Amino acid sequence: MVTAVAERRFLPRQELQALIDVLAEDGRRVIGPMVADGAVVYDEVHRPADLPIGVRDEQAPGSYRLVETGSERAFDVTVGMTSWKRYTFPPTVPLTRASQDGGGLSLEPAPEPAEPMAFLGVRACELAALRVQDRVLTGGPFVDADYRARRDAAIVVAAQCTRAGKTCFCTSMGTGPEVSEGADLVLTELDDGFVVTAGSTRGADLLDRLPTRRASETQSASADAAVAEARDAMGDQVATDGLHDRLLDALDSPRWQEVADRCLACANCTLVCPTCFCTSVSQRSDLDTATVVAERSWDSCFTAGFAKVAGGSFRNRRQDRYRQWLTHKFATWIDQFGSFGCVGCGRCIAWCPVGIDVREELEAIAPPAERHRKRPALATGTGPATYSVGTIHSVTPETADTVSLVIDGIDPVIATGTPGQFLMVEQPGFPAFPISISRYAPGHVVLTVRAAGPATAHLTQSEPGTQIGLRGPLGVGWPVERGLGKDVVIATGGIGLAPLRPLLDALVASRDRFGKVSLYYGARTPNDMLYTGELASWAELGIDIALTVDRAGPEWLGRVGVVTQLFDQADWHGQPVVAYLCGPERMMQVALRTLAERGIPTERTFVSLERHMQCGIGLCGHCQMGKVFICRDGPVFSVAQLGDALNVEGL
Amino acid sequence: MPAQESRAHAGRQRTRADRPARPRVGVAKLTSCDGCQLTLLDLEDHLLDIVDAFEIVEFPEATSNRSSGPYDVLLVEGSVSTPDQAEWIGELRRRAGLLVTIGACATAGGIQALRNWGNEPAWRASVYPRPDLLETLPTSTAVSDHVAVDAELRGCPIDPHQLLELLAALRTGRRPQLPDESVCLACKRRGTVCVVVAEGIPCLGPVTQTGCGAICPAYGRGCYACFGPHEQANVESLAGWFRQHGVDDASAARLFAGFTAYAPPFRSEAESATRTAHRQEDPSHA
Amino acid sequence: MHESTGAGPGLVVPPGPDGEIRYEVSELTRVEGEGSLNLVVRGGEVVTAQLAIFEAPRYFEQLVVGRTPDEVIDIVARICGICPVAYQMSAVHAFEDLFGVAIDPAVRTLRRLLYCGEWIESHALHIYLLHASDFLGYPSAIEMAADHRELVAQGLRLKRLGNRLIEVLGGRAIHPVSVRVGGFSRAPGRRALEALLPDLEAAIPEAQATLDWVATLVPPDYVREPQLLALRHPEEYAYNHGRIVSNDGIDLAPGEWGTAFREEQVAWSHALQARSHSGGVYLLGPSARVTLSSETLHPLAAEGLARTGQAEMIRRNVFSSIVARGVELLHAIAEARDIVADYREPEVPRASWTPRPGIAAWATEAPRGLLFHRYELDEQGLIRHAQIVPPTSQNQGAIERDLAGFAPSIISLPHEEATHRFEQLIRSYDPCISCATHFLDLRVDREDEAAP
Repeated sequence: MVTAVAERRFLPRQELQALIDVLAEDGRRVIGPMVADGAVVYDEVHRPADLPIGVRDEQAPGSYRLVETGSERAFDVTVGMTSWKRYTFPPTVPLTRASQDGGGLSLEPAPEPAEPMAFLGVRACELAALRVQDRVLTGGPFVDADYRARRDAAIVVAAQCTRAGKTCFCTSMGTGPEVSEGADLVLTELDDGFVVTAGSTRGADLLDRLPTRRASETQSASADAAVAEARDAMGDQVATDGLHDRLLDALDSPRWQEVADRCLACANCTLVCPTCFCTSVSQRSDLDTATVVAERSWDSCFTAGFAKVAGGSFRNRRQDRYRQWLTHKFATWIDQFGSFGCVGCGRCIAWCPVGIDVREELEAIAPPAERHRKRPALATGTGPATYSVGTIHSVTPETADTVSLVIDGIDPVIATGTPGQFLMVEQPGFPAFPISISRYAPGHVVLTVRAAGPATAHLTQSEPGTQIGLRGPLGVGWPVERGLGKDVVIATGGIGLAPLRPLLDALVASRDRFGKVSLYYGARTPNDMLYTGELASWAELGIDIALTVDRAGPEWLGRVGVVTQLFDQADWHGQPVVAYLCGPERMMQVALRTLAERGIPTERTFVSLERHMQCGIGLCGHCQMGKVFICRDGPVFSVAQLGDALNVEGL
Repeated sequence: MPAQESRAHAGRQRTRADRPARPRVGVAKLTSCDGCQLTLLDLEDHLLDIVDAFEIVEFPEATSNRSSGPYDVLLVEGSVSTPDQAEWIGELRRRAGLLVTIGACATAGGIQALRNWGNEPAWRASVYPRPDLLETLPTSTAVSDHVAVDAELRGCPIDPHQLLELLAALRTGRRPQLPDESVCLACKRRGTVCVVVAEGIPCLGPVTQTGCGAICPAYGRGCYACFGPHEQANVESLAGWFRQHGVDDASAARLFAGFTAYAPPFRSEAESATRTAHRQEDPSHA
Repeated sequence: MHESTGAGPGLVVPPGPDGEIRYEVSELTRVEGEGSLNLVVRGGEVVTAQLAIFEAPRYFEQLVVGRTPDEVIDIVARICGICPVAYQMSAVHAFEDLFGVAIDPAVRTLRRLLYCGEWIESHALHIYLLHASDFLGYPSAIEMAADHRELVAQGLRLKRLGNRLIEVLGGRAIHPVSVRVGGFSRAPGRRALEALLPDLEAAIPEAQATLDWVATLVPPDYVREPQLLALRHPEEYAYNHGRIVSNDGIDLAPGEWGTAFREEQVAWSHALQARSHSGGVYLLGPSARVTLSSETLHPLAAEGLARTGQAEMIRRNVFSSIVARGVELLHAIAEARDIVADYREPEVPRASWTPRPGIAAWATEAPRGLLFHRYELDEQGLIRHAQIVPPTSQNQGAIERDLAGFAPSIISLPHEEATHRFEQLIRSYDPCISCATHFLDLRVDREDEAAP
């Protein structure tokens, strides 16, 4: 009797050995999942007891554990460390053998015979991976004969997933959990056995020889429900629509540096990936090189030698390599091979030793909607006319022309601001001007103002009790979180310390979450320094402070010179450094140059820019600079974001 | 630590004509345990072929025949830790066509480099009643900190296959195939289950250069970096991960205070570990 | 630094004003590590006999301070490239003794197998590559191989087998990785060990041939009645367990070495020398073991020893130590074969343990003789103090006394030949000089206090 290809049969659990036996006929090696050293790997199975019975995997970024469930089920695990690539595209394969004797050279292919195998328990994502590698290795003008031979020699018995792990995302990549094509047999496990269908004529022949009976309606429905449950458990995790273009548009994203700070360039992701196919060839010879075998081994775009040419490597930085991998897998693979390289199996997430999660990285680097910058916490409907009122509580002189005003009675939304944001200050009859918030405290903020013109002078001479108009908090502030776990350099001059003070407050408040914190502060004279009382207490709280003045008086015992000269004494060796700068333009330009020379990347150097602002919310056009509005897209930018704009005269 | 590619002495590319038919090979030892030169003697299956292909002119452990050079190839084991050795390595450099450092002592200073953070005078004085009778340097450093090195074999000890590869490469005239990549590639090619991910065992494989064939994870323990850091070693990230996952601060630092502690990427953790380890020392011993 | 002048070993120096003859070898060859020979004979009397060790010190006893027991096992292996297993064994047994860890019996056997591997490798190295050439008049095994290729090939095969045993158990031959407190981080599977069985079987006749061969080598004639020291066990040829015994009444538990011996610094050496508390000098190693423990040799080795008829020469003439090594090589191969043939995987490859503060001390038999370790551990189970006494440091006194005792019989020989004989004497001890530089006692200045 020939089984119709689509008919559903049922194989009782106790007949599983019969399936293995049928697959093992004619000396075929049956490869299936088994537990070894705390993980599921693919190795030779001879009997059902070899399979991971009663075992379930718990996977998370950087973590893989097996738990015992006591059930009789053998396929509750999802994917383990090995992929079928180990058998279709082995780690090391001999390519050619060269022998020299006398004067002649013989150069022959050295293929290994492709032994017949049966793959038992192939998941939908893995079938998709096999299809992807088929395309890469045999779908073009040149065919990898070794891969072709191994593929052809393998029977494929798929197992549909009836549960999804936390690192699975086949639904997002369109590869599962349902098996569509490519398998000879398809199993779906139930408690008492397996619903089986044939996916090919070869499969139908095999099915004929198994002790099955027709699957009942209930069994069929249970199978479908189980797979649907796996689908629902995953949901939609990666927005793949337009991902290709979004990713390629984001080649300059600062997030590449951020993930590179975590990435170890250990290559584990590429080696557990079922579709990665990069290899290198090495020469194996004995001492007299009479015979040399060229061998092809798994390699990775993360290794030092991978992109090396005579002049050096053209992917020197970890971020370049990570970017290469992610953009190839999710963008340029489509250009080359017509599909994503990724099948959503999640191995790279679990087996990354530091738990980098590609789903998260894709979201951060190429988000589906325009979510590049953090928007300020403003009530919706804010416009050029929306002000709240605050009261000057006290006025404290800082220098000859600068005072700090404590403003209380403020709209609560102002207290939700972040370091580096500013307020537009409105005094009746005077033009509004932007002032950075120089401290946040419960119920009030502090504004440090220099009397630079009539409007600011009017504010600095105001009496406590005076009310002023405030709009904000506005702008994008200092990304404090970028400094977590790193050394922090803050360089500023004169009143530039004011917008940086809330940043220092935040660093001090969680001092142990940051590395070495260094403040380089310069002023024209000692009397032009702000917050002198606080400098000493910051030093006690673990901030390294280096001060300098342009002109010293008799009581100044410190350095004299421009603030960038303080960098000469700096010791920035090897630890990742984040730099925050605010000051006169000349100072910033020299500082940026010095930082770049010290190898601090522009993605991790942040500046606060000042421009004439009128509305503060990007509607009046005054503060536009190149592609950005300083008030709305800044005033804090990474130098990488600004690119050349900083250097272009008159921009 | 990285071997410098420039030829400080040849000054030009070596051609076929430069390559001697039977290169004169010397083996020299500085401060070390002997294990790396023993690896040459441990190539038992190839040793007789090796002495046919190469003229071993200087190898005090194995032969009483001596030669003060010149050598076509000089294998140097051991770190520089005495004034005599600091001078001697310069002399050896002059006598060697190719100088190849072998092992963690010669390429990174070895385990004895833990004294480099100011401990050496105190240690010497605490150990010897007459410390003045010994002439030592306060540091134990890699050979490449003193002279230009043409190639290096890392490891503690070096790997016999890499040594054979070096010898075969010398015979052919090709660059030796000594990959600079993490141990993880070797583990994954081998099919070894990752001990970090599957068991939470601290393992330095992701930041360590390959070469040993990934022995330790295959034997159920974490890599302890005999081969030193690879070119992109991200110590901060890995150490941070361990600290966030149950490894106490001191133990995490001690991971890096091993046989390649003085390699620059490992140094700051190793220094912190060494200072912690010795802080509790009874002052009466100092 | 200590280079040869190219004129062969030692210097040719005409007698000095008092009829003084100096024998100097600035760098001894075919020994492990860096040592030199200084011997001065004046008026027919030996006035100076020094094995000067100039190996640069590495301060291992400080390197292990503040480390955990498992880290110590990794670190102390690096004291020596030829005998790393010995250091790991002495250390691990010391810790397990202090912590009261009961290891699986199969683990105990596997550790004996590991030591067999090291003895095989070390003795084959010594016999074939370091020492036999002295007897046959070659500067090295390389020249010896030109005339006796198959003989040297045999030696290399035996050495390789020893290394392969260590590799299977420990991951690699030099500085194995799997020895842990409590057992092994991974015990070998049956198949991996059984793969060695055919070669172990084939090695037995080769080891017998080796023994028969070295028994034919003619040693210089120098006999005395040395004091011998070794570990002895009632039922097995002692590796990791037994009591420290001598042929003149010493009988100590393995952790009690310090009750009978102490260390001293001498001006001409970077290595401290060991003496008994009464100033006595002892000989350790194969000659001592074969003499003190002949009843527990493997039957094949006992039979081989009997065949040589040289048991007494082994005891009395240090130049016959090469025969003792031949006996032990055969013993180790035969025992390894037996262990592998009966191998059962341990149920508990690695017992769990908790650290305890206190003194951890133990001695095991390295290829060159008794190796004693003593550690002090603090409340957190970290090392605070270490004392490591390798066999070569204990043998140093014996070496120098033998140099002085041997000298009168050969100073009439041509200078170069006499110097060569002195070197051969030193080589008979198979000294491990890198080891000898590293048993540095932090508290030499407290040697007046009663040692625990």
